[in-house]
Order: sequence, then structure tokens, then C-alpha cells
Amino acid sequence: MSKSADVIIIGGGIVGAATGYYLAQAGYKVRLIEKGYLCAGSTGRCIGGIRQQFTSEGSIKLMLESVRHFSNMKEELGIDVHWYPGGYLFLAHSPEKKEAFLANIAVQQSFGLKDVRWVDAYEAGQVAPGLNIDGLLGGSYCPSDGQAYPFAVVNGYAEKIKSLGGRINTFTEVTAILQGGGRVQGVKTAEGPEYHAAIVINAAGPWAKEIGMMAGISVPVEPERHEALITEGVEYLNIPMLVDYRTDGGYFQQFRHNGQFIGCYSPVPSVPGHSTDSTHEFLHEMPKRMLKLVPALAPVKVIRQWSGSYENTPDGNPILDRSPLEGFYVIAGMCGHGFMLGPAIGRMAADFIKKGAKEPPIAEFALERDYSSQEAMK
Amino acid sequence: MKSMANNDDKIICRCEDITESEVLEAIEKGAATADEVKRLTRAGMGHCQGRTCRRLVNQILTRKLGQNPEDQKAVTQRSPLQPISLKILADS
Repeated sequence: MSKSADVIIIGGGIVGAATGYYLAQAGYKVRLIEKGYLCAGSTGRCIGGIRQQFTSEGSIKLMLESVRHFSNMKEELGIDVHWYPGGYLFLAHSPEKKEAFLANIAVQQSFGLKDVRWVDAYEAGQVAPGLNIDGLLGGSYCPSDGQAYPFAVVNGYAEKIKSLGGRINTFTEVTAILQGGGRVQGVKTAEGPEYHAAIVINAAGPWAKEIGMMAGISVPVEPERHEALITEGVEYLNIPMLVDYRTDGGYFQQFRHNGQFIGCYSPVPSVPGHSTDSTHEFLHEMPKRMLKLVPALAPVKVIRQWSGSYENTPDGNPILDRSPLEGFYVIAGMCGHGFMLGPAIGRMAADFIKKGAKEPPIAEFALERDYSSQEAMK
Repeated sequence: MKSMANNDDKIICRCEDITESEVLEAIEKGAATADEVKRLTRAGMGHCQGRTCRRLVNQILTRKLGQNPEDQKAVTQRSPLQPISLKILADS
């Protein structure tokens, strides 16, 4: 078996799988290396939400593209990924939030997200039946946002990579980046074999910094634990993903395909590190927050809690760029949005690599940039 | 993955209605651990969180791939131990 490929991708989450799929489609011989099973990192732990409501041009346009990919994925990958445009409703309980959302909506519309709109509290209750509108001023609502099933998406891409002649090594851990002649040459693995390729992509998500260090490249990505829970499946209630940015808020949605509610909140203060432990605090706190927003969910039963890593950059924007080491690329730092951004990021990364361009396709996503600005709808 | 199911098939995961053929199909696709079977088929993702099927899935892996049961990694167990309503969790 040949150990050489055109491209080695480190990381079997959505970013690695989507990038691998588009590169394989373009004729590259792809080898994807994952230290666990596919989806074992962040992607398989996410709650499957897909939204276009961002505030930077780059993210909005990528998400417009991603939604096109998701809506076409059943045909493209030959597998039902349970894409469903159930919408996203961001809630505003303060005049400041309302003002910020109104400004965001104008930005989003100017970049082509036509169906996002402000809804007042009454209409919010209409688009989200059962929503508690006490103290609610309204919300930013986009009906074309939606949901999909992460495992199906990644496995769909993986099957395509294999059918296009690529290889996938699961349970294979990269321990060193091979270099020579001033450029990347491949990777060494804990299991022994070295794999050679002229292009190596760091798509290691929460471990992107560690992989970068193996290449001597500084990648400012820090993992942060986020907890989640899921309920039994119940009748579909036609509620969009609800996002409540208050410090005692959270976000949750109901899967269209099996009726399960799934949700999480961003802990304050944040919990840095690779831990994927879960806490009793979350198991009791998240239901409080869900019932505050939709009281009728009281009898719905929680069947599991877990946690996973956000892979954060200092400014909340991803990294999609080449690096000072020739042939070594970084596609990471998705800041909790990897699953939704993945399809478009993968397509864009494949084009970037194919063209051999010097400058990254989106300046805001450059590896070496001023990280002091902020994505507001993080 | 319902395509391979037939009347002689056995249910492995009762909560998610996953049959032995579907587990075998996942193994054909390269799944070699209970974690992978779970994520390809949903066996163990339902109401009881794999109480019955996790042993059965490991038995099938043993049979098909010749794995030593002692070497098989169990899927992660998480709270709650049994389904609990949002209200009870919120009030306690």
C-alpha cells in the first residue's frame, strides 16, 4: 500500500472531511488522518445548528454558501443528512440587544441574506409557538437557517473521499510534521508509519495549536468546554432554534427528523482546556433556561448530557490560510461554528489550495492578522 | 440504512429500532468499535442509552472482527442514569 498522497489532512471532523471531499473531487489523492473515530472531536459533539446570521461579510457569505450545500447534500452525498430549514430566532430582551440586532439585520441583508428580519414579541410568539414573550422586545428571525445531523454529514463526505480514491486512517495519531528542503514533507504517526505528501492541512479543531506547534507554526486556537444535553423525541413543535444571549440564556432547537430537543449554553466564566467532562450544574441549569423560554417543555425527558470543545480564536473568526512553512495549511478555529461553516470552508479551502494562491481567500481569516476585533454574533 | 432489514432480522437497539443487518452494514463500511457503530447507526442513542444494545453490538464486533472482548472500549456513559423530565431537573 502506497504511503504517499497529494494531500494529508489532519482531523476527521467536518472541516477535514469537507476539505478532503472537495480536494478529492478536484483530483487530489487525499489521506485523512484522525486520532479517534470520525467526528470524535468537536463536530460529533455539536448540536447541529446552521445559521447565516453573522456580522462579518466573510462569515455571512460562507454561510449563504453552506446552506446551499446542506440543502443539496442528500443528492450530492447520497445520504440523508436531515437538513431542515427550521429557522433561527435570536431573542432581544433589552433595547441595546434590539438595536444591535437591527444593525446586524441591515448588514446581513446587504450581503445577500434576504429573508432575515426583525420580528416583534407578538410575531416571535407566532414563529415560535409556546415561546414565553414576557419581557421580550422581539428578535432577529431568519427562516432559511436550519439544522442537520453531524454524523451523517461527516460520514457522507468520508464515503465520498473513499469512493474518489482517497484513504481514511482513523485511530491514527499524528506525532510529528515531517519537513525537508524548506517545506512540509508529510507526517509521522504514533502507530509508526510515516505518510508523505507535499501538502499537509491542519484541520485538527481544538488540537490545531498542538498540531501547529509540531510544525513550528503558531496557531492561536484555544479549546473551551461547552456542555450540551438532548431529550427524548417528542412531536415536532415547529419552534426555530432559539438563541438567548443573556448571561442566563442558552440556545436549543428540536430536530425535525426525530423530535429530540438539543441545547447548550456558553458558560460564564468560560472553561478553557480539552476536558469533555459534564457537570451536574449544567444538567440542572440548562433545563431551567429552556423552561424559562418554552414552559410547555416541562414534561420532556432529558436522556443524555455531554460536552465538547469550541475551538476559539481571539477574535471569533476562523483561520483559513497557508502558513510560513511551505505546503502546511491551517483551517481551524471555527469558534463553535465548524459544523455550519464546514461545507463552504471545505470548498473554499480546496479552491485556495488548488490555485496555490499566496493570499487567503478571506483577509479576515488570515493566520497572521490583528486578532483584536470581534465577531459580534459569536 | 433500512434497506437491508428483512423479516428474519433481529432488533439490536430497541429504542432506535436498529437491526443486526444495519450493524453489520456499518461494520462493512469500516466501523470497528462500538463508538463507530453508534455514530453510523444510532444504536445506543435512544431512550435507554444503550443499556441492552451495547453488549450486543460488542458481541457482533467480536464475532465479525475477531476482537477480544477485554480489549473492546466501551462507549462513554453519561448522566442521567435514566430519563428525567426537564421540570424535575429544573426544580432540583
